[in-house]
Amino acid sequence: MEAQTSQYLCPYCSKTFEAFEDLKAHALTAHAGEPAPLPEGMIRLTINGDAYQIQVQPEWTLNYLIHDKMGLTSPKMFCDRGACGSCTVIMNGRPILSCMTLAIECDGNTIETAEGIADQRHPLVETYVKHHAMQCGYCTPGFITTSKALLDRNPDPTEEEIREALGGNLCRCGTYPQHPKAILEAAEILRDKEGGE
Amino acid sequence: MSVQTEYDRMIEMEDNVGFDKYPLKDFDQIGRENVRRLDGTEKASGRAEYTMDVQLPGMLYLKFLTSPYPHAEIKRMDTRKAEALTGVRGILRYDDPELPEVADLGGHGPTAIAPIPRVAHFEGEPVGAAVVADTEVIADEAVRLIQVTWEQRPFLLSVEEALKPDAPLAHPEDFPEGNLEVEHVEGHGDVEKGFKEAERIVEFKVTRRLHTYVSPERPCGVVRWNGDYPEFWLKHQRPHENKRAISSWFGHVPMNRVEMHMFYQGATFGGWTQFYWNQGPMYCAAVMAKRTGHPVKYVFDRRGDFYGGSMDEGDYYFKVGFNNDGRILAVEAKGHFANPQWEGFGPGTHFEDNTQIPNLHAPRKVIKVNKGPNTAVRCEQLPNTMAFTLVMDRVAAELGMDPIEVALRNDGGKGHDMAWLTERKEEVGFTPRDSLRECLEKGKAAVDWDSKWHPPGAKKLPNGKMHGIGFTWTHEWDDSCGSGEISMRLERNDGTLSILGMRCDNGVNAETGYCQIAANELGMRLDDVFYRPHTDTGFFPMCPDSSTNTGVNGWAVRHCARLLKAKILEAATNPRAVTQRGMYPPHFADMKPEDLDIKDSVIYVKADPSQKLSLADLVGPSAEAGPLSFHELYGAERHPFSVPLFAHAYQAQIGCYKGFRPKFCRQVHFMEVEVDPETGEIDVTNVVNVNDVGKVISPESCAGQQYGGTYMGVGRALFEEVVHDPSTGVMLNGNLLDYKIATIEDCQIIDTHLVETQQGYGPYGATGIGEDIATVIPALLGPAVYNAIGKWIYEFPITPERVLSALGKI
Repeated sequence: MEAQTSQYLCPYCSKTFEAFEDLKAHALTAHAGEPAPLPEGMIRLTINGDAYQIQVQPEWTLNYLIHDKMGLTSPKMFCDRGACGSCTVIMNGRPILSCMTLAIECDGNTIETAEGIADQRHPLVETYVKHHAMQCGYCTPGFITTSKALLDRNPDPTEEEIREALGGNLCRCGTYPQHPKAILEAAEILRDKEGGE
Repeated sequence: MSVQTEYDRMIEMEDNVGFDKYPLKDFDQIGRENVRRLDGTEKASGRAEYTMDVQLPGMLYLKFLTSPYPHAEIKRMDTRKAEALTGVRGILRYDDPELPEVADLGGHGPTAIAPIPRVAHFEGEPVGAAVVADTEVIADEAVRLIQVTWEQRPFLLSVEEALKPDAPLAHPEDFPEGNLEVEHVEGHGDVEKGFKEAERIVEFKVTRRLHTYVSPERPCGVVRWNGDYPEFWLKHQRPHENKRAISSWFGHVPMNRVEMHMFYQGATFGGWTQFYWNQGPMYCAAVMAKRTGHPVKYVFDRRGDFYGGSMDEGDYYFKVGFNNDGRILAVEAKGHFANPQWEGFGPGTHFEDNTQIPNLHAPRKVIKVNKGPNTAVRCEQLPNTMAFTLVMDRVAAELGMDPIEVALRNDGGKGHDMAWLTERKEEVGFTPRDSLRECLEKGKAAVDWDSKWHPPGAKKLPNGKMHGIGFTWTHEWDDSCGSGEISMRLERNDGTLSILGMRCDNGVNAETGYCQIAANELGMRLDDVFYRPHTDTGFFPMCPDSSTNTGVNGWAVRHCARLLKAKILEAATNPRAVTQRGMYPPHFADMKPEDLDIKDSVIYVKADPSQKLSLADLVGPSAEAGPLSFHELYGAERHPFSVPLFAHAYQAQIGCYKGFRPKFCRQVHFMEVEVDPETGEIDVTNVVNVNDVGKVISPESCAGQQYGGTYMGVGRALFEEVVHDPSTGVMLNGNLLDYKIATIEDCQIIDTHLVETQQGYGPYGATGIGEDIATVIPALLGPAVYNAIGKWIYEFPITPERVLSALGKI
């Protein structure tokens, strides 16, 4: 039988110690005043302005976390992996595919979903309704997030730029012609609002 | 107008084969623009709930074993390793002693199908076993651990191979005699005589490769048992069929004990919800939910959603006889179709419905191959529109004639000319209008046809590409056959209206349309009307939100609103109630219902509109309607009370297709393309849709079906093709990277126009639009590309490779 060796791992810096007392002494001196480290698999996310601390499994996608575990239904799985844009969320300002992103790699990130965009009364939601930029509605939240990310970085897009930005979002009902109309009108509302402030 | 009179009128309008004898005078809500869609905020915010979103405590996930071979039977199956995997809660095998041999598992009528087949007839078919586990990942892993001894059989992938005399059998269990399941024939006259008389004859063959529906929300469902009673969450277009089938399971569950939830539907376009086995997964989930005591959810993966395809897959053989003036004398259109699941339509129906062509012979062979089942995928008219467009345009091309001239020369119905059609219109009460000419007037101007149409292959653009323009036409259709039921209730307190009906929303904004009809009929403000979906018990509208909305359900809404209006006016002129202490006097004493009308949700006296009462005041506060009315308790003054104001109506219609109702409304479409002769790539630069929908309920919803259908049609024409490996029979592109559907960049301008001749069999003369455009547009690419390059390409989709091949470059 092999001799059992037990090692204690510093949760702050991963240094190993033979005895628990040594680890304790190390933590109290070398890491005094530092905030408590997160357990393995624990991530911090800001979603639609709210802070979360969540335990995730390494294989969980961000979509699984947000949709299945947290109950935000807007990131939809249409193509089933990486081909349709319906699961798009905005992470740190960029539209990303939540089905192709591992949740465990998202620690510290800020995420926006269509629910959050609606709750902040972004004009896109109203212009999407007005222009019927939806039919069955399954892909619509992915268009909303992609469009919002576009307007955030380009407040005055041309129709061509909009079509290019939406090139990766599939809509089987074919609502495509309505999206540029809705986005251009939302951009105008936002610019008017900004000009008025 | 008494309730009885209104009821009699409703009955009279059943089996509707004519124009409404009791039309509406003013359309203030019907046809209105800028009506806010009821589902808008929910869908834009991502809060709209779909069956895929359903999560229940303790829910398990079901996954099927699928066949790796296109034709094979299971000889032995060992599930022990899969059963031993942690997190697996059960495996349902095809040989489970509790499984019945067959059950009613989907299709239009009751069917008898094995819940889990032992023999696979196409690669990817769910067979052998269904695993339920704590997570989808574990279920997938368990499926991989199932060891199967397969006996492979010879397989067939094309109708051409399947018809060869020495071909192996594709479905020996069900079709032991051969691969030809059945042959239907339609037509009239004598084509041989027509060919003899014709000055010109042309023959050609067309092939349409397999394409599929790609519903955004994949096939899925959830089931839970509450004691002895099952509760289902369905993704399906036909909830009433599901409930009927579910009720027949487990030795019969009474209909009133089956609880169903119909959320928003992530679209299906027919497709999955029409395959015979479409309730098979739900059946297996129900068995396993009962066995494990947990809710069970099944979700197909994207490849699984490629289960089957559209029933226009196959070969078409045409022989057309015509004269030099463009008059077509005979059409022989033979269709050899792969795996259609139901009778459907051959390639001849639109010649029958739209033309004066005197001789038509259109046999349709239904042939079995080892690919998934094919069904109506927006929609079953695809073989017809393909045949109609290609024949009409080919005749024009052979004669060097404007295809519009050929259309006008042959327009008619049932082999008769326009005079005959005009008589039929008058006979059933329509005011005759020439729908094709009205559509053409709008369409030609919109696309600038007279200056753009040119001889084939004659217009090279400065960018080096060849410009082409195509035209097609046909009748406007809906599946307005079947029955729909609707009910309405005037709510207490505020007098708002709830329309009660099953939800099955696929996105065509039908619920808003029903509110417009109800508001218009009742004289209510649109804001006071709301569609309150009953997701559990009826009322069942006809296939809500799929093949027919306005055509059947629109009638039911109209009848219901008129019945309710009669009840409201009767209530306003009659004593509100009679109790032991006496009578509650009428609101409008000494008046008859016909003395009153309603506008903006207010009842008023026609002769003196200053005498009025809002609907809210009519129904009164709810406290006064209950048992504990304090005024009554203390014998105080009499307070408002009214009878409950509820109405229920229905519509039953027959004869959409079988000749009872000639088609009077037409549609025309134009397409401009640029074809790169070097790469074979096609850009669709402009499409003009003109649809005579009879009567518009919602202009934006109609336009949505036009541009939406155009995008779907363009994708089908350019690149939608399910490819199977000829040597293994394995599907090669069951995902959305390799199977392309149209993106926003695949079509440029789409210009939509509506015509309203009020010659449809729906209420107000309306007919359908949802199925039409996606079905007509694919074949239109053929004449457009011919006009660009001067070559006919008769293999669809028209890929760059096929263009280059037609140009002799590869």
